[in-house]
This record gives sequence, structure tokens and C-alpha cells, in this order.
Amino acid sequence: MDREVNPGMSPDRTDSRPLLDVRDLDVAYEVSGSSWRRTTTTVVKGVSFHIDAGETYGLVGESGSGKSTTGRAILRLAEVAGGTIEFDGTDLATLGERTPLSYRRDVQAVYQDPAGSLNPRHHVGRAVTDALKRHGTGDRAERQDRAREAFAQVGLTDAHLSRFPSEMSGGQLQRVAIARALVLEPRLVICDEAVSALDLSTQSQIINLLMDLQQASGVSYLFITHDLGVVRHMAHRLGVLRKGELIEQGDTSAVFADPQHEYTRSLLAASPSSHPEGREQRRADRLARRRGAAQASEGAGGTAASASPTAPAAAASSPARPATADMRQAGPTRPMVARPEGRA
Amino acid sequence: MTVSTVGPAAATTPAAKQAAGPRQAWRRLRHQPLTLAAILTVALIVVIAVFAPVLAPYAPDDTDFSNVLSGPTAAHPLGTDDLGHDVLSQLIFAARTALLVAGGSVLVAMLIGVPFGLILGYKGGWYDRLGSRVMDLADAFPGIMIGFVVIAILGRGVWILIFAIGLIFSMNFGRMVRAITLAERKKLYVESAHVSGLRNRQIIFGQVLPNLAGPLAVQAAVFLGNAIKVEAALSFLALGLPDDQPSWGGMLRTAAEHQVDHPLMALPPGIAIVVTVLAFNLLGDGINDALSGARSTRKARKASRKAARLAASTLAEVEQARLDAEAREQVPSTRDDAPVPVASSVATREALVTTAAHPEPVLSVRGVSIVADRPDGEVVPLVSDVSLTVGRGEVLGLLGESGSGKSMLAKSILGLLPPGVRVDSGSVTLAGDELVGRDERGMRAIRGKKLGVVFQNPQANLSPVHTVGHQLVDPLRVHHGMSKAAARDRAAELLDMVGVKDAAGRLSQYPYQFSGGMAQRVAIAIALAGEPDVLILDEATSALDVTTQSQVLDLVLDLRESLGMAVVNITHDLGVAAESCDRVAILYHGELLEVNDVFSLFENPHHPYTAALLAAHPTADREVDRLPTLADFVTADGEWIVR
Repeated sequence: MDREVNPGMSPDRTDSRPLLDVRDLDVAYEVSGSSWRRTTTTVVKGVSFHIDAGETYGLVGESGSGKSTTGRAILRLAEVAGGTIEFDGTDLATLGERTPLSYRRDVQAVYQDPAGSLNPRHHVGRAVTDALKRHGTGDRAERQDRAREAFAQVGLTDAHLSRFPSEMSGGQLQRVAIARALVLEPRLVICDEAVSALDLSTQSQIINLLMDLQQASGVSYLFITHDLGVVRHMAHRLGVLRKGELIEQGDTSAVFADPQHEYTRSLLAASPSSHPEGREQRRADRLARRRGAAQASEGAGGTAASASPTAPAAAASSPARPATADMRQAGPTRPMVARPEGRA
Repeated sequence: MTVSTVGPAAATTPAAKQAAGPRQAWRRLRHQPLTLAAILTVALIVVIAVFAPVLAPYAPDDTDFSNVLSGPTAAHPLGTDDLGHDVLSQLIFAARTALLVAGGSVLVAMLIGVPFGLILGYKGGWYDRLGSRVMDLADAFPGIMIGFVVIAILGRGVWILIFAIGLIFSMNFGRMVRAITLAERKKLYVESAHVSGLRNRQIIFGQVLPNLAGPLAVQAAVFLGNAIKVEAALSFLALGLPDDQPSWGGMLRTAAEHQVDHPLMALPPGIAIVVTVLAFNLLGDGINDALSGARSTRKARKASRKAARLAASTLAEVEQARLDAEAREQVPSTRDDAPVPVASSVATREALVTTAAHPEPVLSVRGVSIVADRPDGEVVPLVSDVSLTVGRGEVLGLLGESGSGKSMLAKSILGLLPPGVRVDSGSVTLAGDELVGRDERGMRAIRGKKLGVVFQNPQANLSPVHTVGHQLVDPLRVHHGMSKAAARDRAAELLDMVGVKDAAGRLSQYPYQFSGGMAQRVAIAIALAGEPDVLILDEATSALDVTTQSQVLDLVLDLRESLGMAVVNITHDLGVAAESCDRVAILYHGELLEVNDVFSLFENPHHPYTAALLAAHPTADREVDRLPTLADFVTADGEWIVR
């Protein structure tokens, strides 16, 4: 249902092959244990999605849902435990231990914390020139020119090149991070909460910048975020992750208009609205939703009530999200769909 | 219509403030007399070593057999040794040896230890396991034994001594570098370098190593002193330098042989060693202090600098927005001297602030201005002339972006302003009691009892080493003089009220056993323990997932209804304000731009900045083609466009 290419977005790559194709991805982390024995926990389970050229795919979920881990697996920073990731028809598993330079050029990342993603001891311009140098771009003068162009592209001036990260604002640093990602002319950029730490007035500028750059270069974004508002604005399609599983995906407008999964519905209901109008109703709906979930859980054996203090981990997590944990069992048959206010 | 503006702040770009790096270091140094003395001492020793042939009255190997073991005389101010060497000259030439050996061995130690530590820390895995065991093994031998072995195998000589001491210290450097590298490796800039395709070698030496410079400098200074001690010890044992090479250790050995008949001979080399080692150690401490920004004494300056930088960064963003807009529209640049909107004129602001009088204001803030005092005498305004009231049972939102002064305003109400920041004028009254000007004891009676507060990070709100019950019982006993048993019952009631299941059982648990949302509920329960008139939420739901956030906000609204308390909800999130506040105050750059009923504010914002924020907010319940930015609400002359 979600295989159509976005109109006017993919210039010459009209073949049906997506740019990125993730199939049944499992990612496991080593949790603890001694040097000799490994204990792993699976944080991404059987995730499948694809991204077409020139498209923005949103990956939404709450903390611990595995959305960042999925991004790291695509960047080859987290080990794939199962399934395949194909980029432009090449299975990443066949690339071997060393990631080829071409892949490092094609796939870039922009992170949430722009200050942390730049070396505090280097001029920010070096982030760009170092990348160019590694990828064999010209001599020092040419790299400097390219860095200047890249900075201009993201709305920074030459004077910014020789600043240290501590001398720039968060929004400016995020522009540097975007310049570094885009100077290599990548085909896919993983944006991991790339606008979440920014002030509203800065956030809108960076969102517009990312969208303008996409228009100009046809780059694809994997947009990882917890912010439903941002994803609605930016993504063509989106997937909803919950505890490592992709529970729903589809065209952004379709998912927002008619969420299929109960968890998506509860996320939308919990997401604060942009206008106070109708908030009493929304609050009442949320209350009913929680009550319904609590009753469902009691009916299912009263797991929440019997959470004992001797099982701290379970006790700590289960009451926090009782609604989400148990609503899935209730399924989409429950009639209480709290649709957000449809304001234009 | 446009509103006239004043924009002096545009001149203070962050760059201008940071440019004076070395000068700042010097200013800090002036406040550290010990470090200054250490620097001067080290410099003096270096000068003596370099100009030894000029300064020393005799050559190091000059012997005066007619005056063996003489005490201080006119010809030999510090006397002579058993071979008739002039002690003063020996002392001076030995400084050369000491510095050469110290410098050389620290260099050797760094050349071995730094790459070793970098590779262990960065590579991890088997490299680290094996390498760390090697370091443990080296630690298990006394350093001096390693020196003995090297010298026993290779013989005596300056270069061998340097190598031996370098080897002893290399593992200390290795351990330190490994520890720092382990921490740096996890940082995003290293990951970003990976994604850029940089080789491991480039990341280790080009990206991580520069971040080690500070700690390495400290370590090197301290080990320069240690090397002098080790050299003296080895030479004292006749294992260090050849006998014809003047050294402080060798002089001590001679003195030891004659300590019965010439007890004062040990003094000159002893004093030289103590002074030099002390100087290097103090220098190390000084570098450490200078790097860490001398936290304790200059906290205030830091706070004010941070505040000023935050303010400047908001302005920088407005400037940036205008830059973008111009780039997009190809408008000829007029921005160079364009002022940035900072404040609307007072008259207009009053028109914009519609203070819908809520019945019975419980908290009122009148004309509060907050300033930061910089050490150089400059007074930086953080909040200017803000007036607000909060009625009983009302939820007032304080909405603003970073640098808007919203948190400072809350801290001024709580009497928790950081050092160097103070309320310059105005008054804050809580149920008729004036809060401004109260001393710490006076505020303590108010906080917890009449004012409750919940901060952003739920885990940081709670003490990790005490049970939740302990933290709840304490304020109950302090503020209400309850007995232990009664307080415990009440604590369980409070936890139950904020929706923690099995409240009595969970009282004995520690904060880490609670999830983020549950921990925030506990923090609210603690804030409610004193039955406050006003509950202040400082970004209390910002760190929570949306589901949890909505639960906590709903809880606050329930409590407001059942307890009738007033709530001040400080947030940067328009959605949170829309869902939970009755009235909303908009703060920008320390100025109160607008206070209005939440419905009117979202429907019909008075101030262009409010309108800009509303427009820039991407939300889940509507779609727009392009997000308007601040620049769309500012004229080319940098004035707000009022619609």
C-alpha cells in the first residue's frame, strides 16, 4: 500500500528499486556480563521498511522504542543481528568489516545534540574540510572553497568557518552539522532527533532548511523523532515503532487521518494539541482510555495490581505505560478513537 | 503598524566574548598566587640550567684539593665536597641534569603511554583486556624495580636513565589516556567522524588527541617533579648517572657518606630537590584549576556569562532567520546595521498585556527585574520589569524559549537564584507575604510549605541514596511536626494521590526503581507534602514521553481541582500550554510581551512574537506547506510587524 514513489521527488531513479530497503531487521545489544560471556537483548525486532530517493521517511516512537538503534544499524554503527539492509541494491552484509568509502559518502547523519557532534577543540569548518579530505576532494584551497559553499548553503557566512563550537548558538551548530552531512552529496541522511533540542523559532528554520535542501538535491531523509508534529510536517511516509517493533506504517496523511493501531491512536491522543479548543473533551477521552485499559488489564489477570515491590524492574515500567501495554490486546475494536481537532 | 524597537544587544555577538582566551587565562592566574610562584620558580630553574656556565663560579669538574670538605668560605660559598668540587657550581650544573632527565623521561613516558592508552581506549575489546592486564602487571612492580632492571641490563648513563624513568611512568600516562579516551569515544563527535568516513587513525590522533591536551599537561607537570625525585633516588643509590655527571642525587650520596662530620652538606641538594618538585606539582595543580575554570570562586561569573550567552544566542537566531529569508528572496542585504527586536515600547506593551483579573491572586509578581552582576562591574539584565498574578486554583503558563528568563523568574520566586544573580527591583508576594529580600532561613520556611516545585529531570529531583519514603517523610516531619508513623501514613496517601500504585509498598524503594513518569509523580508528591499554595513546574514534563507527559499533566489538573492550589507551569512547549494552562504569559529576552487567557492567546495573539511562535509550531493536528519563521514577523528594519 505504501510503495508508490512520491510525485516529482525522484528524478531519474524511476526503477522500482528503493534507495534503502530494510527487511526483518533485528538489532541486539550486549547488555552486561563479564568479558567472557555475553548477554544480549534484542532492541529492534523484525523491522521492515523502505525509503525511496527524494523521500522523507519518519520513524516515530517513544524512548526505548529502538528508533535510534535502527538508524545506527543503517549507519553500520550497531551490529545487525538478523534481517537485511539493502542500500541501492547492495546488501550491507556483503560489504565486510570495513565500510567502503562510497557508503560513507552516500549515507550521512545529523544528530540531536549539535554541540556534542562537533569536536570542541576544532574550528567548526574543520568538520567539513576533514570529511572532504578523507573523500579525496582536491587540495586545501579547493576544500576551503567547498566548505565556504556548504556554509553558504545552510545560511552561514565565511566568518563562521573559524569559530569554535562554544562560540555558536544551537541552531548555528545544527547548520554546521547539516553542512558537514550534505557537503559529500549523500543520497540518504539519517536525522536522529535533529530538531528536537532546538527552540521553536530555530526549529522551524532548520526544518525549512532541510526541506529546501531536499528539494534542491533530491536527498532522502530517515527522520527519527518522538515529535509527531514535526514528523507530520516533514515526512512523506512514516512508521511507528513500539518496543522495537514496527506496528504501523503508511503515508503520513493516511496514518494521521486514520490510525490503524491502537498504540498510534493513543500516541496521537497524548500528543499535545496546537490549540486549547476542545481540551476538556480530549482530557475526558484520555481518562476513559486509561480506565478502559486498566479494566482490560484487570480482566486479563490483574497484572498491574499485582506488581510487587520485589520485582522493581517490572514494577517500575508497568505502571508507567499501562495504557499502551494493554491496549494492544484490546485491539482496534475499541470504539474510542480520539481524533485530534481538525484545524487548518 | 510597526512598533519601535531598541536593539543594543545585536553588537554583543558570542564571538566577541570568547575572543579573549589567553587574556582570561592570565586574569585567572592572577588570582592564583601559588601557581604564579610555581611558574616563576620553574622559570628561574630553567634560566639557571641554561646559563650554568656563566652563573657557576667554577666548572663542574674543577677540583680544589687544597680545600677538600671545607665549610662555606669566601671562595666556596657553599663549601666543597670530598674531591674538592665547589658545591654551588655542582648544584647549578646539576639543575641541567635534573631538567634534562625530567623532560626527557616524561617525553619518553608520553611517547609510549599516550598511543598505548589511545589504542586501548578506542579499540576496546581484546586490545583493552590484554593491554589493561599489562598495565596492571606493570603496576604490581614497584617503579624503582623496573628502573633497577633496565639499568642492570643496559648499564648507567644519562640516556639509559631517561629511558628507565620514562618506562616507569609510561603506564601512568597510558592509564589516564585510556580512561579519557573511553569517555571521549562515546561522544557524538567521534561517531560523526565515523559517519564522515574518517579512518580510525585519523579519529584517534586527529579528533580524540586534541581533547586530551589539558589533562596531559597537568599529568606532565606533576611527573616532571616525580622524575626528579626518581632520578635523585637512583643517583643516590649510585644506579643513576655516572659519577662524573653532577646531580642532586649524587650530591646527596656524597653528603650521606660524610653526614657525621659535615651534616650541612645535604642541605643544598635537598633544598634544590624539594623546591623543584614542589614547583612542578603546584604548576600541575595550577594548570588543572585554570582548565576547569576555577569552579568554586567564579561560579557567579559563569552564571552571568551563561545567561548573557543564552540571550545573545536567541538574538543570533533572529538574525539568522533574517539572513535565511534574505537568501531565499534574494533581497539586497540591509541587515548589517539593522536592529533586532528586543523590546516593544513600554506604552505598547501595556496595551498588549491584558491582565484578566483572576479572583483572589495568591501569588503576585510586581515589576520584578533580575540582573546578573559581572565581576568587571557590568550589570547584565536578565528579566526586566515583569508583573504577573496567579489566582487560587489557576494554572498560569510561563512560555518562552531558551534565554527568555522564564526559569530565572521562577527561581527568583523560589529564592533560588544562582550566586551573582539578584532581584534588582520589584516585589513578589505570596498570600500577602513579601518574598523578595528574605534571607535563606526565611525562604526555607516558605519553600516546601507554601511553594512546591518540580524540576525537569525527574531522577535529578530525587536523592538517589534515600528511599522515596524517606524523602516524603522528611518534609512532612519538618513542616508539619508529624510523628514518624503519621508521616509515613501521610506519605503513602500522597503517593496514592499522585497515582502510584501499591503506594505503601513502594515507600521503601529507591528512585532508580521508578520509571521517568513515576519518578516525576513522586517529585510532585514531595512538592505537595507541605500542602503548598502554589506549585511551580519548571519544564516538569519536558523530558517525558508524550504518553507519560499527558498523564502527568492530567494529574496536575486533577490536583488543581481537588486541592484548589495555584500552578505556575514553565514551559517552552506551546502544546503543553494549550492543554494545561488557564492563562499564558509570553516571555522573550527577559521581557513580558503578553499575558492572556489561553483561548484568546491561541486564537488572537496580540504580540507578533506570539503569533510567530504559534505559526512556527509544527503540530500533529494540522498541515502547512512551509513553516513561517520569526523573520516573517519582523520588518527589514528589525521591527515587529503588528497585524
